[in-house]
Amino acid sequence: MKSHQNFGQQLLKSLKDWARVSSPWVLHFNTGSCNGCDIEILATLTPRYDLERLGVKLQASPRQADILLCTGPVTRQARERLVRIYAQMPEPKYVVAIGSCAISGGVFRGCYNVMDGIDQVIPVSAYIPGCPPRPEAVIDGLVKVLASIHSPGHKIPSDILEGALDPEKVAA
Amino acid sequence: MNWFFVLLSLMVFPGGLFLLAGGMAYEWVDRKMLAVFQNRAGPRWFQPLADTVKLLIKEEIIPDKVNEILFIGLPIAALAGGLTAALYVPVAGLTPVYSFPGDLIVTLYLLSLLTLCMGLAGANTLDRFSLIGATRTLTQVFSYEAPFLLAMLGPALVAGSWQISDINAYAGGHWLILTQPVGFIVAVIGFMGKLVMPPFDAPEAHTEIGAGALTEYSGRGLAFFHLAKAVELIVGLSLVSAFYLGGLANPLEFLVKTLALLFVLIGLQSLLTRMRIDQTVGMWWRYGTLVVLAQWLVIILVMRP
Repeated sequence: MKSHQNFGQQLLKSLKDWARVSSPWVLHFNTGSCNGCDIEILATLTPRYDLERLGVKLQASPRQADILLCTGPVTRQARERLVRIYAQMPEPKYVVAIGSCAISGGVFRGCYNVMDGIDQVIPVSAYIPGCPPRPEAVIDGLVKVLASIHSPGHKIPSDILEGALDPEKVAA
Repeated sequence: MNWFFVLLSLMVFPGGLFLLAGGMAYEWVDRKMLAVFQNRAGPRWFQPLADTVKLLIKEEIIPDKVNEILFIGLPIAALAGGLTAALYVPVAGLTPVYSFPGDLIVTLYLLSLLTLCMGLAGANTLDRFSLIGATRTLTQVFSYEAPFLLAMLGPALVAGSWQISDINAYAGGHWLILTQPVGFIVAVIGFMGKLVMPPFDAPEAHTEIGAGALTEYSGRGLAFFHLAKAVELIVGLSLVSAFYLGGLANPLEFLVKTLALLFVLIGLQSLLTRMRIDQTVGMWWRYGTLVVLAQWLVIILVMRP
């Protein structure tokens, strides 16, 4: 009986994972970026790269998004909005920091008016480095987030992202 | 044994499961063909199913200061309206499960339940995008609904019956698209307005007002509204092609005719740009309604013995 229950739960879990991995809807928020990364995100969504083949849809409402794509070093003005948007998203939710500034503050690191990266404000699931990252890099990052949805706890297999998931290392 | 077949017809075929699966399949055809027209690869075949399952297992946030009963009940009412309407329509080319004189009117009202529910759902929340979306949705209802209704009543006038199965049988021998081309065009365009397809997508214009009336919906409610739209797509396509494209007598005819009609809709979607809400209203009341009424006049004059 117990093994049956386990089997049912396993089946349900794999169905849930499959649905979440197959249909990631994204929301795009600029926390004070120079627009370089934003243009690359838009380029990623154009017909040339066509993310709809992976099920990605750009949503305009945080209530309907699964993944928050953030760019920029989080200016102190944008901080409150970022937190509010994150709070408005329903669970399960994932955050991707796109670009050098979003990862660590980039060239603005230590400035009086920035928070030095997205992960200083909200938890981040994946980091996509680059200034700006190419659309290929954005797609690569998204695919890695999806892989981490499939098996939470499983370390994202990447040389670039080595240690990037540890906020303390990034902040140091 | 009777109740068993009733239950089967409601839950599996042609109601319930079949409609949901068919609606999602047609939604996929819509999205895929649109992607092909835009030089994209497009979504995978299971995309609508994955979207629905994901939305169903997602957290549903009920915002502050909304009427919770309405917030939860409206999506269910919308889906129920679409599924009920399908019982009177020759979906899959079979004779409708239930039929009575005048069921055409009931079906048309059930089909507009989705849009009304969306408008109410938007007006129920305090979000500004929802409110603007709700206003636009309800404005659009009042603009396309009358011409669409008049266009669907044209075949009823000729067939001399307000029963969908009668009109379907009559249309089997007469391609009404040839004798009532104006009604067909108005019906197709009205149907696009009903489904908020691109030239008439001002109520959910993503670049202007978030997700329109559904901005505050996250999990189950959004899934139900999406499913209701998919069901309405298949029901409306069957209705229009049954009336104007020579009737639906068997499943093969159903597939060919509804897919051909869907193809036309997709072409129009990829060709046309979004109209402002005042342009939509102006177009329907200045031209749409008048040309259909003129066609009614012609039908009545020609049919007079």
